[in-house]
Amino acid sequence: MANDSMEWSFQTAQGKNHTPLSLENVHVVYNIRRGEVQAVRGVDLELHAGESVALIGESGSGKTTLGLAIVRLLVKSAQITQGKITYRRDGREVDVLSLKPKEMREFRWKECAMVFQSALNAFNPVLRIWDQMLDTARSHGWNDRQAVRQKSLELLRFVQLDPERVLNSYPHELSGGMRQRVLLALSLLLEPQVLILDEPTTALDILTQRTILDLLRQLKEEQHFTMIFISHDLAVAAELADRIATMYAGAVVEMGPTEELFYNPRHPYTLGLIRAVPTVAGGFEELFSIPGSPPDLIDLPSGCPFHPRCSFATSRCREEEPSLTQVGPDHYAACWHWHDVEKELERTPLHRGVHAIQQGGAS
Amino acid sequence: MSNSTAASAANQTGLLSQIWGSIRTTLRLMSYNRVGFIGFIMVLLIVGLSFIGPEFIPLDTKTKVDQIYLPPSWEHPFGTDHQGRDIFSQIVHGGKDVIYVGVVAAVLSTLIAVTFGTLSGFSGGWVDTVIMTITDIVLTIPRFPLLAVLAAFVTLNNLAFLGLLLGALSWPTLLRAVRSQALSLKERDFVEAARALDLGTSHIIFREIVPNMMTYIVISFTLSMTAAVYAQVGLVFLGLVPISASNWGVMINLAWVRGAIFYKDSLWYIMAPVLAIALFQLSVITLTRSLELVFNPRLRSGE
Amino acid sequence: MATVEAIRSPAAGPSPWRKWAATIARSYLFRKLLKTAFTVFAVTTIIFFLIRLLPGNPVEQYVNFLLVNYGLTYHEALDQAAALFSIDLNQPLALQYVQYLGNLLRGDLGTSILSPGTEVSAIIKRFLPWTLFSVGTGLIISFIIGMALGLLMAYRRESLLDHVLTILASILSSVPDYLVGIMLIVWLGVQWKLAPIAQMRGSMSPGMQPNLSFAFIKDIFFHAALPITTYILTRVGTWMLSMKSSTIAALEEDYVTVARARGLKDSRITTAYVGRNASLPLFTQFAITVGFIMGGSVLIESIFQYQGIGRVLIDSVQQRDYPVMQGVFLIITLAVVFANFFADILYSWLDPRIKLGGQEE
Repeated sequence: MANDSMEWSFQTAQGKNHTPLSLENVHVVYNIRRGEVQAVRGVDLELHAGESVALIGESGSGKTTLGLAIVRLLVKSAQITQGKITYRRDGREVDVLSLKPKEMREFRWKECAMVFQSALNAFNPVLRIWDQMLDTARSHGWNDRQAVRQKSLELLRFVQLDPERVLNSYPHELSGGMRQRVLLALSLLLEPQVLILDEPTTALDILTQRTILDLLRQLKEEQHFTMIFISHDLAVAAELADRIATMYAGAVVEMGPTEELFYNPRHPYTLGLIRAVPTVAGGFEELFSIPGSPPDLIDLPSGCPFHPRCSFATSRCREEEPSLTQVGPDHYAACWHWHDVEKELERTPLHRGVHAIQQGGAS
Repeated sequence: MSNSTAASAANQTGLLSQIWGSIRTTLRLMSYNRVGFIGFIMVLLIVGLSFIGPEFIPLDTKTKVDQIYLPPSWEHPFGTDHQGRDIFSQIVHGGKDVIYVGVVAAVLSTLIAVTFGTLSGFSGGWVDTVIMTITDIVLTIPRFPLLAVLAAFVTLNNLAFLGLLLGALSWPTLLRAVRSQALSLKERDFVEAARALDLGTSHIIFREIVPNMMTYIVISFTLSMTAAVYAQVGLVFLGLVPISASNWGVMINLAWVRGAIFYKDSLWYIMAPVLAIALFQLSVITLTRSLELVFNPRLRSGE
Repeated sequence: MATVEAIRSPAAGPSPWRKWAATIARSYLFRKLLKTAFTVFAVTTIIFFLIRLLPGNPVEQYVNFLLVNYGLTYHEALDQAAALFSIDLNQPLALQYVQYLGNLLRGDLGTSILSPGTEVSAIIKRFLPWTLFSVGTGLIISFIIGMALGLLMAYRRESLLDHVLTILASILSSVPDYLVGIMLIVWLGVQWKLAPIAQMRGSMSPGMQPNLSFAFIKDIFFHAALPITTYILTRVGTWMLSMKSSTIAALEEDYVTVARARGLKDSRITTAYVGRNASLPLFTQFAITVGFIMGGSVLIESIFQYQGIGRVLIDSVQQRDYPVMQGVFLIITLAVVFANFFADILYSWLDPRIKLGGQEE
């Protein structure tokens, strides 16, 4: 398992068309006293090898729930009511939803690692970092202490921490930013094929954010990791993702390559999100915000769930919920009026905002 | 800024109506929590029986040698004791003193804990340090052995005095809880406002902070009572307190001294007061736990 | 909370001893030690003045007793009393106090009034181990059982088992310990005849020699069984309920979810992740519990005729044997103080967040 240069075992074996993870029509429902919360409503996603996909949306859009569903760490009150999650490796396929508990435990972290936001409390306060690294390795059958130690030191160096010192520390002895980096290192310990990162930069100071983003970019560009980023922050998506999927009210409302989505969004919600980012370089432009608030997921509006807040909405939007239709090369949007969005953009293009995002992300 | 007399008048009614309001809310919420409600009813029953019961049920003091240790029957719901006297009437008469001492102890204990706990938490500095040091020392000294030793010097047959003594020893735990509550309230806005209005320390303590601690006060009161009952019954049981009145603790002491514990037939003589005391303690504690749930919704399960 | 200060020390720097001393001075351990020493000091002082200044001053009483019954002169009586209480009554109070402290440090606690010639310290040496044995065993067993059941209750929350155990725990923790002891005698001994209580009296069977043989150990457990059972029954409920609530809190912590995401085995999560963190609050309760149990031992040893230090205290109170009373009470208090101290140390050892120089919670 030990590698001297950070080369990962699986990347060389798979071919170009390998799809490590696919989600088909996944539905997740929470059962609470008030009723059923439709957290995820029919999401399809195909993740290709070496690709990074960003799931963007407000809180309550279902993005974190989707991530949790993939590793099946939802709370007891939640259920995956429909859909299929398929994981592939070395030419074999596995239906994740039908894995038994023991198999699921082996799947987690080794095949697919989900890194949660805010690692402030992600570590057991009474164990040293080294013990927790060893715990993780041992639980997956890797008992070679020396090798685990080597790998841990290597990974801690990769995330730019002092390896020996951090390994011997307790979690409370490290700052929040350090803990986030340790968590990242830990997530790479077993060389998972898929990484899911939930809000990797939220609640961190600017400098640490930068470090983490650079590390992630390294993982993506040099190691060709397959990653899913969950975030509400478009800057993260712009820097790291190959493809972006915007989520609203539990469904994917637009999906496409990053640049395409940023320059030519076709869904009013995506448009609103991009417009809502104020530009540092810009003048006294109007600040756009999307009026209204996210819908009640127990009692969704009829038709398209975005229609109450949408400036393009018509009676059709109130009656029928649109499904994803192709609006460009590998670019899909779930809107009846995407043509109108296109026309709107021809009138007032997004260049300045987009440039600001791309530059702001690199500062 | 309002006229200070008007303000303090408003605060007067404020405090009273606050208390009444919280009592009403408590009763309403309690009826949802079945176990707590049962505890509440049991406490009322036992207290009522002990104070009103003696008016209706006379104490059986006649010795009937032929009726020793009879098992329970309609005539004698708990049977008879070693002198043929009815146990039930003794139980009815026996709660008064025990509860009285408990209440006296609880009142004193709560007064000390609330006053000094608030003062300590609110003032900080050396006042806090001194009070906390005293508290820690009193807390460390084991209460019951101390009481036993004191019993050797001081005749403890005055109920009120006994109550005061017990109260004077059981405030430390309560004081700590009150103090930590005061510490957290200290930083709250309404206290800042009162400070800004220059309303004086005692005003702040009694008009602003204390009403917000009603829950702790009530809970400390009930817990003090259980501690006092434990201590006094223990003292009486060991014969360290020369109380001759009819009293649950005295009944246990007599049963013990007469070896009633070791006879098969005298079961009821020992079980009756034991059950009475255990039931009372249990009810008070159940009531207290439910009050905690009522006042602190975070503790409720399934929410 | 604790800062990274303490690790900042470079590899080569001031001598390890200096660093070590500095850490100790700032540390939790040192402060606790200081506090304990102060409490011991305060307690011994209080007890001294208690004996001398309370109404019915036992020293004066004894002097009068000697004067009346033995016709001694006042000075002779004073001398005798002084010898008994290990203080020199001719000196002013302050000096007597200093003398008292000096005697204490030498282990001289006075001589018994009722058993003349028997030193109080000898009495304590003879009976204290029994109390420590029974109380200690009861504490440890109740702690272990309470922790295990509390953990179980939290994992099986809202199940039938949980409800039953919660009710049981609530009842057990509300009933006074001496009543439990009496009930054990009444029901196990008398009504159901399950335990031979007559033979279980005392701390060991007559004629037994203390040694490490199996027969002796079996015997002392036989005699201590009922007191230990009482301690366990009265304490286990509190542990159970505490452990249950702290486990529930621990299960909701982020690191448990992350541990699951890391694919850790459930058994590992339960012990090292949930268990260890959930049991921490229980150690803070440990101190209070020791106080209760030592206090309760006074009653329980009387009920079961168990010859421990609690029983000695009651006997000395009933017989007004003041030197013994004073000495035993002091020892009981000191036992509690030291138990608290060890509990604090144990806690700081278990919770790495407390170790270094930093604030206490």
